[in-house]
Amino acid sequence: MNLHIRPILSALLRNRTGAILVAMQVAIALAVLVNALYIVTQRIEKMGRPTGMDVENILIVQSAGFTAHYDLKSSIQQDLAWLRSLAGVLAATPTNAIPLSGGGSSQGLTIVPGDRTKNDSFGYYEVDEQGLDALGLHLVAGRNFRHEEVEPPITLDDAGRFVGNVILSRAAAKELFADQNPLGKPVYDTLGKQATVIGIVDPAMNSWVDSEHADWVFYMPRLTSALYGGVRYIVRTRPGERDAVIRLAEAHLATSNPDRVIHFVRPMTYFKDLSYLGDRSMGIYLLTVTGLMIAVTCLGIFALATFNVATRTKQIGTRRAVGARRADVVRYFLVENGMITSAGVLAGCALALATGYYLSLEYALPRLNLYFLVGGVLVLWATGQLAAWQPARRAAAVPPSVATRTV
Amino acid sequence: MLKMQDISKIYRTDLIETYALRSFSLEVTAGEFVAVTGPSGSGKTTFLNVAGLLEDFDSGRYELDGTDVRALSDDARSRLRNQRIGFIFQSFNLIPDLNVQDNVDVPLRYRGLAASDRRERITSALELVGLASRARHMPAQLSGGQQQRVAIARAIAGDPAFLLADEPTGNLDSLMARQVMDLLEQINEMGTTILLVTHDPELARRAQRNVHLIDGQISDFRAYEPRPAPSGAADAAGAALA
Repeated sequence: MNLHIRPILSALLRNRTGAILVAMQVAIALAVLVNALYIVTQRIEKMGRPTGMDVENILIVQSAGFTAHYDLKSSIQQDLAWLRSLAGVLAATPTNAIPLSGGGSSQGLTIVPGDRTKNDSFGYYEVDEQGLDALGLHLVAGRNFRHEEVEPPITLDDAGRFVGNVILSRAAAKELFADQNPLGKPVYDTLGKQATVIGIVDPAMNSWVDSEHADWVFYMPRLTSALYGGVRYIVRTRPGERDAVIRLAEAHLATSNPDRVIHFVRPMTYFKDLSYLGDRSMGIYLLTVTGLMIAVTCLGIFALATFNVATRTKQIGTRRAVGARRADVVRYFLVENGMITSAGVLAGCALALATGYYLSLEYALPRLNLYFLVGGVLVLWATGQLAAWQPARRAAAVPPSVATRTV
Repeated sequence: MLKMQDISKIYRTDLIETYALRSFSLEVTAGEFVAVTGPSGSGKTTFLNVAGLLEDFDSGRYELDGTDVRALSDDARSRLRNQRIGFIFQSFNLIPDLNVQDNVDVPLRYRGLAASDRRERITSALELVGLASRARHMPAQLSGGQQQRVAIARAIAGDPAFLLADEPTGNLDSLMARQVMDLLEQINEMGTTILLVTHDPELARRAQRNVHLIDGQISDFRAYEPRPAPSGAADAAGAALA
């Protein structure tokens, strides 16, 4: 098949202004497309990370005592007894913080007491023996907490108290113990107090989804304290029963204890969605802008091709008269458009790589994945050809008799 | 070579039907030089379009080299135009963005010829029209007469059996017109059949035969004697006239 590349190129070079503008448009669109899609993909991967928790079936209750008669321990016992008695509830635990919510507590852990060389901080959660079940976490080694291990809440007088046992996330264990088996080994808090690792869960996430180490987390068997600004309950329900339990909990807990107030009863998805709102908004924004850019680029290609067809009617008729078939005319315009798009795509590759490099330097983003570049090239090239298809078909419909018309 | 029988071509609008050709019959034998004359609106260009397979007709029968063209697909018509017919247009119809050589190359590329073959044909055609030295010039750098000679080179480069010229001297001054007509005669003498559409009786006199059209119908056949047809063609032409 003769693509007539040389004469088409030579004709194109004689009318290059429009072609250069469209090629530049293609180049910019490619650079935006590739980098935006890469960023969006990273955000999607981030949002899709396994949390290890049964997020869809968990609800969170937050309450706080406000009268002098409020007794934290008995209030927790009453609330837990009622929550656990509900038919749809699988497990419930009091806790100091809400995973994935953006707020919580963290603490340094080391495997050498008083080791100041390490500054690693791990998100932690105070839970009782139902803690892992309430979160839906998967214990991959060791054992769960026992009821008798659950320690009383800390107070102002013993705020620096640590616990006897801890359960680590696998990522936390790997950070602390590298490839050693952590079970039965001691870990130390920043005050040098010791706890023993009795279990490993995997996967798991702490409260800060944007953290580089969102999977560094450990669990302590301790009733939560009023020092954390109230009590939170993590309640896991059977699939499909979460919303019914929320309604029941809202109605009951609001009146069951006049000495405390219920701040909210919300699904855990609320907190997760809120934490990822920025990522989601960024993704939608980038996809919208990219979509618009591609649409504008397609319009540019379509407009140039339409203009070329409109201004070359006589030439097309002449080509048809001297033997061009309709397919030859379609091919002519697609090859011409392909050359413009290819030039734009080539320039766009360089622009995309430069933009990716700049973003990686300025915003600490990972370097652009070349598969995205290849994908972007294919998408833009195919889209560009599709945009030129209709004008090319219109060109092919020009009858050969146009060649003999003098007006 | 070309045989038209009772060809009718009607242009229709919502309100009226106009017969551009009405029961038009003509036979042209190989090697003839036939002029088709007539006043404006007489159907000359429509005849040329139909003869050159640029346009369909409504009724009648048209055979080109023994092939009934009515039955041909659009692609087959394109192929036939490309291989058997050369066109020369009043306004040259050169592609302004291509140089002389590439303009001549256009129909050859559509024929799918090898580059070396095309190069050879382009050189021969340009030499014949006296423009071999202008192969790299753009059409805008040439005079009207030179542009028409490029168009002739484009028409003959594919070695067509049949040349259709639509007022080829209409946009030229008399000197250039004479040069173009000389060239056409020379091509005809080499054996190519030529159908020349013109409104100029002087040019028509240089053909061997004149077909005069009025209102889409042949009103007059006239044979001229000064220039004999190439050997073999004259008898056939005479037979057609008879």
